[in-house]
Amino acid sequence: MFRLLEESGFRQVRSVVVPHFRFRKAATQNSAEAYGVKAVLFTATRPTTI
Amino acid sequence: MTDAVAAQESLEAVLKDEIIRMYQDVADNPEGEFHFFHGREAAELFEYDPAWLDRAPAGAVASFAGVGNPHLRSAIQPGETVLDLGSGAGLDAIIASWGAGASGNVIGVDLNPSMCLKAQAHAAASGSRMECHQGRMEDIPVPDRSVDVVISNGVVNLSFRKRKVIEELFRVLKPGGRLSITDIVSAKQLSQSIVNDPKLWAS
Repeated sequence: MFRLLEESGFRQVRSVVVPHFRFRKAATQNSAEAYGVKAVLFTATRPTTI
Repeated sequence: MTDAVAAQESLEAVLKDEIIRMYQDVADNPEGEFHFFHGREAAELFEYDPAWLDRAPAGAVASFAGVGNPHLRSAIQPGETVLDLGSGAGLDAIIASWGAGASGNVIGVDLNPSMCLKAQAHAAASGSRMECHQGRMEDIPVPDRSVDVVISNGVVNLSFRKRKVIEELFRVLKPGGRLSITDIVSAKQLSQSIVNDPKLWAS
């Protein structure tokens, strides 16, 4: 997502992991962890010159 | 049309139906148990201000199915136009409307037209101004350069065409406009069995 934002022309792209995100069910959470699944907050700005 | 394109379009159509079914289920049965946290429990987990959750209509809070808190960085100012992509039952749009104020404008977009109606009813019940358009995130029904701030919560990951979605966000934002979106990302390539399973993808 970070790369997509930059490649689409956004600037000041920032990301921070959502600290408390998890799935309710243990089996789903375990699978998510195996794939490195996280929730992330992204911020970005459209340049004023485009 | 190649077989690969046809297969992709077929899978997208199935996925669209599954997304509508799953999130309609959350809205219609908020007391149900899902494999993700939802409702007030989820909003508190993501540090939504409890005062917001007390002030918002109970139905909007109960149906909340986000994955984080885009309001932490949205810095919405009075008079701004805000787009909530995938507005669901309307909680994030209603909170955004409190920042945008009477001189601002909040636009929701959701795949499910009945969710748009629900969000607008919740907004009206809270005294908030919100318009909602049924539409796809890959073809956002909003004019070019018309939005100051985009918020979204757990939605972009549902698309097979994320680059197109991001390009649409760029298109609708005014120059100098900004986005604050929370979403699910994966550090590893998902297996084909997950990609091909609409129930897993939609969740």
